[in-house]
Amino acid sequence: MNTSRSPLGQTLLEIFRQGPAGPLDDDRFNALALQAFRHQFERNEPYRRFCERRGIVPERVERWEDVPAVPTAAFKEAALVCGPGDAAQAVFRTSGTTQGSERRGTHYVLDLALYRESALSAFRAHLLPDGARLPFLILAPSPERAPDSSLSRMFEWVRAECGAPGSGWFVSFLAGLHVDELVQALGRSESERVPALIAGTAFAFVYLFDALAARSLRFRLPEGSRVMETGGLKGRVREITKAELYEGFAQVLGIPDHFCVGEYGMTEMCSQFYEDVLRARAPGLETGPGGPRRMCPPRWVRTLVVDPDTLRPLPQQRPGLLRHFDLANLNSVSALQTDDLGLGVAAGFQVLGRARGAEARGCSIALDEWLTATR
Amino acid sequence: MADRDPLSDAYWLPGLEARDHDGFEEVTLGEWVARVPRLRPEGVRRIAGELIRAGEERLERRPVADILDAVAAAARSITASDSDLRVSLERSLPLATGYAPAMVRLGLDRMAQDWRADVLRQALVAEFGDPEVLDRPRPRRDALGKVRAFGPRLVAHIFAGNVPGVSVTSLVRALLVKAASFGKTASGEPLAAVAFARALSVVDEGLGRCLAVTYWPGGSESLESALFESAEAVIAYGSDASVDAVRARVPPRTLLIAYPHRVGVALVEGAALRADLRELALKAARDVAVFDQQGCVAPHCVYVEAEPGLAETFADALATALARVEEEWPRGRVSAAEAAAIHELRAQMEFRGARVWASPEGTGWTVILDPEPTFTPSPLNRVVFVKPVRDLRDALAALEPVRWHLQSVGLAAGGERYEALAESLGRLGASRVVPLGSMAWPEPQGHADGRFQFLDLVRFVDIPGVGGP
Repeated sequence: MNTSRSPLGQTLLEIFRQGPAGPLDDDRFNALALQAFRHQFERNEPYRRFCERRGIVPERVERWEDVPAVPTAAFKEAALVCGPGDAAQAVFRTSGTTQGSERRGTHYVLDLALYRESALSAFRAHLLPDGARLPFLILAPSPERAPDSSLSRMFEWVRAECGAPGSGWFVSFLAGLHVDELVQALGRSESERVPALIAGTAFAFVYLFDALAARSLRFRLPEGSRVMETGGLKGRVREITKAELYEGFAQVLGIPDHFCVGEYGMTEMCSQFYEDVLRARAPGLETGPGGPRRMCPPRWVRTLVVDPDTLRPLPQQRPGLLRHFDLANLNSVSALQTDDLGLGVAAGFQVLGRARGAEARGCSIALDEWLTATR
Repeated sequence: MADRDPLSDAYWLPGLEARDHDGFEEVTLGEWVARVPRLRPEGVRRIAGELIRAGEERLERRPVADILDAVAAAARSITASDSDLRVSLERSLPLATGYAPAMVRLGLDRMAQDWRADVLRQALVAEFGDPEVLDRPRPRRDALGKVRAFGPRLVAHIFAGNVPGVSVTSLVRALLVKAASFGKTASGEPLAAVAFARALSVVDEGLGRCLAVTYWPGGSESLESALFESAEAVIAYGSDASVDAVRARVPPRTLLIAYPHRVGVALVEGAALRADLRELALKAARDVAVFDQQGCVAPHCVYVEAEPGLAETFADALATALARVEEEWPRGRVSAAEAAAIHELRAQMEFRGARVWASPEGTGWTVILDPEPTFTPSPLNRVVFVKPVRDLRDALAALEPVRWHLQSVGLAAGGERYEALAESLGRLGASRVVPLGSMAWPEPQGHADGRFQFLDLVRFVDIPGVGGP
């Protein structure tokens, strides 16, 4: 646990603590990004070889956009960490549920403080812009039950730091969603007029809606209650659209649309993105009714939308694959190429879904189908 | 509609009546915008009935030789370089399928050869011996009376969208056993069958009345059920899942011929490799490149009998060859999902320690030298694994788990070994063992996926005790 933090790490921590909004101009970001790239190139062996095979060395890179981005799938194959993996303060793994026996992506985190400060800072800004202190009803397993889960760890940080008494975890692997306890907690919030924050994956919410429908239960949670929702909708329960999910928040929990905040994150990345729907309405921050929902990066992250074939950056309003540069990933890899489809919009992006699931057009069989068929 | 291209109507439904459909709709098939009727199930049923009637009048009493000539003439008029329909296909198919224009032209040229009258006659003779058995009772070779063959009254075809022209071959097979056809096209390739039907009606208006072709979204249950009820045989092409979905809806009495998932591989023996490495790499590259590996005949893996160093030299040569072939036949359009799958696989294999050769920009071609011999399916679109083995027998063992799906094998081996390997591959499940470099074009007189092209469609009537020719 005695990671010596580099001066760069220290600088980043200070930036994270100042919150996700505010100035970090492009030049400053670029300078930090190039320092981070050098740091990673020098210490992350598999990443260095990846760069060298592409003939790219830090001396010759002037823009963060030119730093080689590692496809997130690479985290399944190699320890992408700036040093020995056993020096990591935490090891997070992807759930690996969508493709059965496939290997799981592994993210070794050497310096948890960077992860924690980045996560806390963005969460606070987007879920608690009014400084509210609420009980957190978390539809995820606790970190003790899910030590591999970066999401559980993040929930634990925000719960311990920002949650009020009455917070709790409502999912375990054996019992699944603890519907009875959750019904009690929701009922308490409703009857005692104590607003709550309900956080969980989209599929946990779908499960909750189904369970409440089976009991013919609906809640009108008090004003100020809010939802943080994350994760794809291609779930294990059933698939619903984002609009249906948000309809559920309103109908089943009584939480209006702009108090429901979508989060987008991944195991391989220490920073998260949030929709700014709630933040835009907070006192002193009002920006009016706003446009359609969009994911907003914290100022220490930049996102590009790239052409799925050439991986070259696309102009706004052209759908492509999302590529992130996350300074909080200082000790692994900052430049990440995802297979998430997105659309660049002003000051953010919209997530359109995953690009995977390619099918052959006829009687041949493509890899993805094979994985599905043989899992 | 723009410039009224004949194929901006992506259907051929002779005698379509207003009551058969709820108007027309514009559908975007790939990047080709076309018009199709919104058929009603009762419309499908009525049209199927008309097709059966047309077959009775126009096909049944017509000598098969006659039909064959008309079919060949129609095929000629969609493939001959000076014909209007060929010009139209060259314009529309790249947009609809995403294949590069050069690839579409190559495909049309090859089809022109496959559908020539003499080739079709050979194919019929190969299976029937005496194709006139489709016209009247013919004496059995063993002199035990006579025999007569009848095709189904109506064949329903569910086409796949991967390779243009396979749909036409399917219609041709049905016509040659005197069956009327109703073809449901795929969004990936909705045009060649329509062009053929149009051409046939120009050559012979009556025969054109025996075909119907249109598009609707796959799995439209009420339409497909109406079609399957009326048909005596169903031919379905596509993924295991789509073929299974068809199977579930075909009545038990109806003949179902299914062409589900298949894969190809290539095997190269050590001696051949050492003698001819670059030439073999080019042949393998062509087999990979034709129709961007979407055909089930295309190889996913090349097993090379070589030590790691030589295998690497071959993989390098294969990469060079794919780059060269790319200039002649550019890789076609791919979806975001297809491109993402390729980038992801490249990265995974690279970080796993495999050597990866990749097109300098984009996903145009990829060669992965993978020491793991287990068969690995490619994400297609010109991604091929090179797998070194000490002995090709190790490749056979590695293919055991995929024997159900195995179709074409491209083989580079000398004389006696070639036959011995073909025998072993056949025993394993392959239905086609051909020299490397000829995987992409199945022999028109050969079998289809190891089954008969025509015999599987017909019903024989034995008439013993009738003598004389």
